[in-house]
Amino acid sequence: MLHYDFMQRAFCAGGIIALLASALGVYLLLRRQALMADMLSHVSLAGVAGGAYFHVNPTVTGFLVAIVGAITVEYLRRAYRTYSEVSVAIIMVGGLSLSVILMGLNKTLNVSFSSYLFGSVVAVNRTELLFMLATAIVGALFFYLLRRPLYLISFDEETARTNGLPVSWISLGFSVVTGMIVAAAMPIVGVLLVSSLIVLPASLAIRISPSFAAAVFVSMGIGLVGVFAGLSASYELSTPPGGTIAFVLLVFLVVGVTLKKALKKLGVRARIQTVQEETPATPSRVTRAE
Amino acid sequence: MRLASLRDVMFGYGDVPCLEEANVEIHSNEFVAVTGPNGAAKTTLLKLALGLLQPWRGTAEISSTNREGGKLVVGYVPQQIASFNSGFPSNVLEFVQSGRYGRGSWLRRMRKNDREAVEKALLLTDTLHLRNRKIGELSGGQKQRICLARALALSPDLYVLDEPTTGMDKESRARFYELMRNEVREKGKTVVMVTHHLSEVEPELDRLITLERKEESGWRCCTTTSCSGHFVPAGSLRC
Repeated sequence: MLHYDFMQRAFCAGGIIALLASALGVYLLLRRQALMADMLSHVSLAGVAGGAYFHVNPTVTGFLVAIVGAITVEYLRRAYRTYSEVSVAIIMVGGLSLSVILMGLNKTLNVSFSSYLFGSVVAVNRTELLFMLATAIVGALFFYLLRRPLYLISFDEETARTNGLPVSWISLGFSVVTGMIVAAAMPIVGVLLVSSLIVLPASLAIRISPSFAAAVFVSMGIGLVGVFAGLSASYELSTPPGGTIAFVLLVFLVVGVTLKKALKKLGVRARIQTVQEETPATPSRVTRAE
Repeated sequence: MRLASLRDVMFGYGDVPCLEEANVEIHSNEFVAVTGPNGAAKTTLLKLALGLLQPWRGTAEISSTNREGGKLVVGYVPQQIASFNSGFPSNVLEFVQSGRYGRGSWLRRMRKNDREAVEKALLLTDTLHLRNRKIGELSGGQKQRICLARALALSPDLYVLDEPTTGMDKESRARFYELMRNEVREKGKTVVMVTHHLSEVEPELDRLITLERKEESGWRCCTTTSCSGHFVPAGSLRC
């Protein structure tokens, strides 16, 4: 499988995106912005459709539109502070309607467009790989250097602000990086499933990790294994990579949560048994039992 | 030295004012309590003083420097913040350590003095034994104590605490009031605290800010009372 040039590129790109998207997911979930990735992917689709219509590289336009969408949603989020999901809905509707119109106008729409919707390993060309590398460098630097401010902002923005943090600027930067990662992930998993790569590993990591730092690394690990397993399965079964990766990640989540629950139950049972063995039966208890 | 002030401040939500004619000054090295009935805009008053909300009218200012001329460090504990974030996947140690992030550069590594400050804060709030537990596994009172530990770890010049004793038992509350009193008396810190347990904290206070309802308009204003042992009837609108 790895003899093929396109599969090498797919694994390379998938690995980069898995690590970034899964780390991003932890912060998005904690900031209650889980739907933001989904929204940005739809906005990015408008960019792809616009690029195709105006004969400009769709990857570039998709990338730029995703960043613009991320900045817009940040401003709308401040306007709709109490109902921040409203901003997500507004931008998503805007992005999706624009893409449908542009796709309708484009009479020469070909099959390659569906690769943006559902993901394709062959869709990863050299330009996209370069975009992914640039995103990886920017994203890794952002998350590493600002890990402490991001922790505080994720927990509570007001406390972070009283600590002297430039919360608005960091939030804006976070939105831009989110837009970049979403746009970079699109060729692999596709518009419709890009949020799976961001949300699913983080959902499991948050449930099973003993600390915040562990949650970020566990999420990255789950994402990486999920993407590699999904790509391999996709190659072997000739299924679309986006759907396959999302399905694998969903299986991981279900199995992980079930195992955690089972282990917790076993732990509680063992604890009850230990307490019962350690506590001698008193006469009054015996009487009550009778 | 004046650390924060509100002058003729008016503020509300939507188009309904909830605070009017608020004149408050917070000085260094004093222990101030803010009290009033539910919905009396106590939290709003704190947020205005901290610059988290902008007044409709009047001025709200917070000093940028402390008594020594250094940067004013504020330790803010919002109302029931830990309960709202019970799903946060952090353990107690990480959470309390985050209090130190406000001291110095965001990029520097944790040093020995940071670790010592964290351990001391955990000890003072009797939460050292919980350090490896996840936040979500703690009880309401324990969550509140770790929020206080985080503020203590920061070692701020000004503590702004919004109902910090929620969920705590009487013994824990007494220890907490004593702790805050020591921060003011021995370390020269300033404490502003919203509380409903006025009778308990009364002996420790330097000053009390009371928010009252103005019956004719439905707006609230504040009065002040000095608290050296017992209260003086509140008559002035200026705090």
